[in-house]
Amino acid sequence: MNILTLIIFTPLLFGLIIALMPSRWRSSFKYVALLATLVQLAMSIWIYCNFKTGAAFGGINHETQFQFMQKLPWINLDLGAMGKMQIDYFVGIDGMSVSLLVMTSFVLVIAALSSWEIKSNLKGFFILFLILDMAVTGVFCSLDFFMFYIFYELMLLPLYFLIGMWGGAKREYAAIKFFLYTLFGSVFMLLIMVGLYLSVKDPVTGNHTFNMVQMMNPANYEPGSVFSVAAHQTIFGLSARAVGFVVLFVAFAIKVPVVPLHTWLPDAHVEAPTPISIILAGILLKVGGYGIIRVCLSIFPDIASSGAYWLGLLGVISIIYGAFNALAQKDLKRMIAYSSVSHMGFVLLGLASQTAEGISGAVMQMVSHGFLSTMLFFLAGVIYNRVHDRGINHFRGLASVMPNYTAFVIVAFFASLGLPGFSAFIGEIFSLTGAFKSHTVNGLLPYWMAACGSAGILIGAGYFLWTLQRMFFGTVNFKGGTVWQTALVDLNFREKLTLFPLAIMVLALGLMPSLVFYKINDSVLALVQFLQLK
Amino acid sequence: MEQFLQAIDTQTIIFTLTAVLLPLLAFVLNITMRGRWDKISGWVSTVAILLSCILSGFVFARVWNGHPVHQQLLWFTIGNTQLYAGILLNNLSVLMLLLVSVIALPVHIYSTAYMKDDEHYTRYFAFLSFFCFSMLALVVVDNLFLFYISWELVGFSSYLLIGFWFKRHKAIMANKKAFIMNRIGDMGLLIAIMVLFTQYHTFDITQIFADNGLISRSVMKNGLWVSPTGHLPAIWQYIACGGVFLAVAAKSAQFPLHTWLPDAMEGPTSVSALIHAATMVAAGVFLLGRVYPMFNGTELTILAIIGCFTAFMAATIALTQNDLKRILAYSTISQLGYMVMAMGIGAYASSLFHLVTHSFFKALLFLVAGIVIHQMRHINDDNGLGIDPQDIQHMGGLRKKLPFTFIAAIIGGLALVGLPLTSGYLSKDSILIHAFEWADGKGPLFKLIPVFALLTTWLTAFYVARLIVKVFFGELRLLKNTPGIKLHVSDGSWAYKLPLVLLAAGCLFPLFSANPIEFTRSWLFKGFSPAGGFGAESSAYALLPVLVNSLSLLVIYWAWLIYAKQKAGSLLQRGFLYRLSFNAWYFDEIYNNGIIKPVLALGRFTFWFDRIIINGSVNSLARTGILVSKLSSWFDRNIIDGFLNLLVAIVRAIGNFARKFQNGRVQYYLFSMLVIILSLFILKILV
Repeated sequence: MNILTLIIFTPLLFGLIIALMPSRWRSSFKYVALLATLVQLAMSIWIYCNFKTGAAFGGINHETQFQFMQKLPWINLDLGAMGKMQIDYFVGIDGMSVSLLVMTSFVLVIAALSSWEIKSNLKGFFILFLILDMAVTGVFCSLDFFMFYIFYELMLLPLYFLIGMWGGAKREYAAIKFFLYTLFGSVFMLLIMVGLYLSVKDPVTGNHTFNMVQMMNPANYEPGSVFSVAAHQTIFGLSARAVGFVVLFVAFAIKVPVVPLHTWLPDAHVEAPTPISIILAGILLKVGGYGIIRVCLSIFPDIASSGAYWLGLLGVISIIYGAFNALAQKDLKRMIAYSSVSHMGFVLLGLASQTAEGISGAVMQMVSHGFLSTMLFFLAGVIYNRVHDRGINHFRGLASVMPNYTAFVIVAFFASLGLPGFSAFIGEIFSLTGAFKSHTVNGLLPYWMAACGSAGILIGAGYFLWTLQRMFFGTVNFKGGTVWQTALVDLNFREKLTLFPLAIMVLALGLMPSLVFYKINDSVLALVQFLQLK
Repeated sequence: MEQFLQAIDTQTIIFTLTAVLLPLLAFVLNITMRGRWDKISGWVSTVAILLSCILSGFVFARVWNGHPVHQQLLWFTIGNTQLYAGILLNNLSVLMLLLVSVIALPVHIYSTAYMKDDEHYTRYFAFLSFFCFSMLALVVVDNLFLFYISWELVGFSSYLLIGFWFKRHKAIMANKKAFIMNRIGDMGLLIAIMVLFTQYHTFDITQIFADNGLISRSVMKNGLWVSPTGHLPAIWQYIACGGVFLAVAAKSAQFPLHTWLPDAMEGPTSVSALIHAATMVAAGVFLLGRVYPMFNGTELTILAIIGCFTAFMAATIALTQNDLKRILAYSTISQLGYMVMAMGIGAYASSLFHLVTHSFFKALLFLVAGIVIHQMRHINDDNGLGIDPQDIQHMGGLRKKLPFTFIAAIIGGLALVGLPLTSGYLSKDSILIHAFEWADGKGPLFKLIPVFALLTTWLTAFYVARLIVKVFFGELRLLKNTPGIKLHVSDGSWAYKLPLVLLAAGCLFPLFSANPIEFTRSWLFKGFSPAGGFGAESSAYALLPVLVNSLSLLVIYWAWLIYAKQKAGSLLQRGFLYRLSFNAWYFDEIYNNGIIKPVLALGRFTFWFDRIIINGSVNSLARTGILVSKLSSWFDRNIIDGFLNLLVAIVRAIGNFARKFQNGRVQYYLFSMLVIILSLFILKILV
């Protein structure tokens, strides 16, 4: 059995088990879910260790260079005159996916651990949780666009219910907003996907295909087809390929999220229960970034180059705009949500640079943000669970009451604001370096973008330190008085167990960035080379 | 032979590495054992720094004036760039390595007594060790990337230590301010590093800044900055230097980023002695020393102007402050200004010389201040007075109560003023003489720099005299205001005295030169001067020190008259100049109203924009959707459905009409048939 297939469908299996278990055993559902994620984590670590590196394993646009591949015919319909419809079950990973895959399974374990706070309708929650788990894992492994799309859409459904049913006060609004916003993006993605399908032919079988790797080779496009590189077709007077790129980019940009398509995020994050906030921030946002690499850059490299300026600009705007918004927040979770917008801006900037440093930095930033936002949302959940309040101004002097908690907060905050020794520093500095270097290497981004982007690091220090000062230091003074003071007990064993590995991970990646860079480097170089050739 | 030398070098590197990592080990031990070994944690850190100190001594002896040692290991690969982690030992780095550990050792010993009763004693030493680790790493790393890492870690550990008493509002405001201002510098350094990396494709300090390195082979041509490895528009050379300057200004508290340092005095005094007098603030000057070749003439002049301005400005502020530690803080800013100015005028060796001597006497003065404050706090606590123990207006006459501390203060003070027989004399006069030499042959405006530097010397003499007289001479003013208070005051245990002795020894000339008058004879100065370089004998300004020092003595006497004897007229305590000085030239107010408030307002504005405009448009899109759906629903119900209903109604009406004929009565059917046939006939006849 293929390991990727196993890792994708393991959660589904465990979901089935939960579905079949009688509701009497509801207290054990969380252990089953945790077990599912742990099994997944073990498999992903195995994959990580056995993932081969070297120029022969670059991946990107070479189908044979992907690893742990499985390709089975899935839907084959004879459409008569229109040829054969060919949809494959096609999974495989290269350097771009492997680090995100490991990060995802790690974050899912944390999310499962933080699901302890869920008290109602456990069966539904954990089944949806595991379906979501399957969908996100599937996205990172799929190499067939049709499959990718199915997993991509499949993430929305459980999330809608998870936010809408287990969320906070304004959960219905947030859930619907999230669902419609993302659906808006992906519906148009469907059109482009079909357009690509009709343009690309599998050179071996001669059928139209959804194979993403084949979509990257201009030779596979039928002459005169809508997305053919040579044909220069137009849609509404605009270059068809540019339209395709923009539509796909908008779909993924909503997920990332890129300003101005980000407003679903603060609401969804604030209203979602902690485990779902963790999955949203830790994994969902990376699906956006991953999609930009795998689909936008790789299938439309020509447009990605000519539009790099705009991508970079959006990245810089996201960095600065998100940071300023975070500065104005009075709700801890909302502050973290806006900081995510700012941090994901670095990813876009790094990708837009199309340099090895920039892309490596962007991937590192995604992995790092996966761990860090998980940690931040978990930490926000800790005090919310105790006193059901997150107002920054409602707390003061938490450090005296919860010293261990404060220690983890300091680690998470400083790691997030890019203190060297932690992973975010590596991600940010190389995204910026790549962006700066871009002008001399390929002339895509002007120098000032990186310089402006580094201002985000400065404002980042501002909002994190301000929050630290207001909530954690000073003399003890809570809005809820002594009731809160007794409720705010320090971290328990489970919480420490959750936070400790996360802190270790961000530290390890900061000290040994090669943990990520070593595995992704060949793919990064392959991608850079591919983008240069166009 | 070759191999033997190689082995020696490797050993040197291992010694250095151990010296750097020992404090880190102490940090890890203390942080993990928190709460369990409260008694010995201080000694864990102290022993670690002692060993570092000894190892640094070895390394120093081997490398000073010998060949530089440089070894590195591959750290990671990104794209085609390989990043190395390595150690670079040359005169500059071994000097700093030794200096940092030598200053840190007495501070550690002192801290074991000074922080004895603090509830977070272990945490204090953990942080202190962490600071030592980052500072030691900073001075020995061999590439800009690692340099940036240690640079930020230094800032971070300083943040932890300034806010060590995190329950005090002022302390946490101060550490936030310090970190954010340092971040501005970090940003500058980051941009500079990005520019250099883009230009030279490497982070390696030797490759870029060595004598025949990449920088020296770069030229400005036709608006381009051309190097052997590529070219950039010329403006980026200036931006890189500007970035480095920002970094220097932030760490070494130069105008315009100096305001964090006085506030940072909220930390424990022992911390101020180590970090905010001797080491961290010197890091900026050290950075200048590392990247010196990248500055061109104009940039150096700007550096000199800013350094000189900072020195003067901070000295004028120090004249009127009443907080013991803040006076010392402004004095530090002023002295750092001297160092930056010296770098700017090309007096590289003098700048580093002053860095070293300043570390000793300023650390000494801070430790003295710590003892005084400690004793004042005792008096305060014993008698429940509720005064500020750092306010020199309450002090006076302490020379009888604290004789040992008094002598240390005198030595430190004289060195700070720069009177003969002290180390400060050697280094300060070397800067002043260089400044005059530099201004020779330049325009008259350039003369302002040595003149202001000279003025600053006398200002220094005045505020030092004022400080020492107010604290140690006369009568204890507290006693005058509230008679009958109990005084149990003493110099303290050996852990207080030994550090003072060690540092005081470093404030005197023998450590640096056998000749107490001529700075050129100092080994330290020679170590950084090219062979056959500057000689004081040849200088037209050889007699300058005599003038400077005799005037300094006069100023000191004047201050003594004012504050001890109260004979000479007291300085005006009002007027614009006094207010300007007392309020530190209003920089805090200007920054607060001119920068911080607008930035926060901008944050609120973007959030408003986000909520109302961006989110508003999404919501109005949703509302439009709902409106359209309502409209279409109305259309559906009233028009489309209405049409169908109309059809139905018509059909039904017709049906109802037709149904009337189907009533089942034969007569009626006959009658209707008759009517129809008759009407047909009538129609036929008529038509």
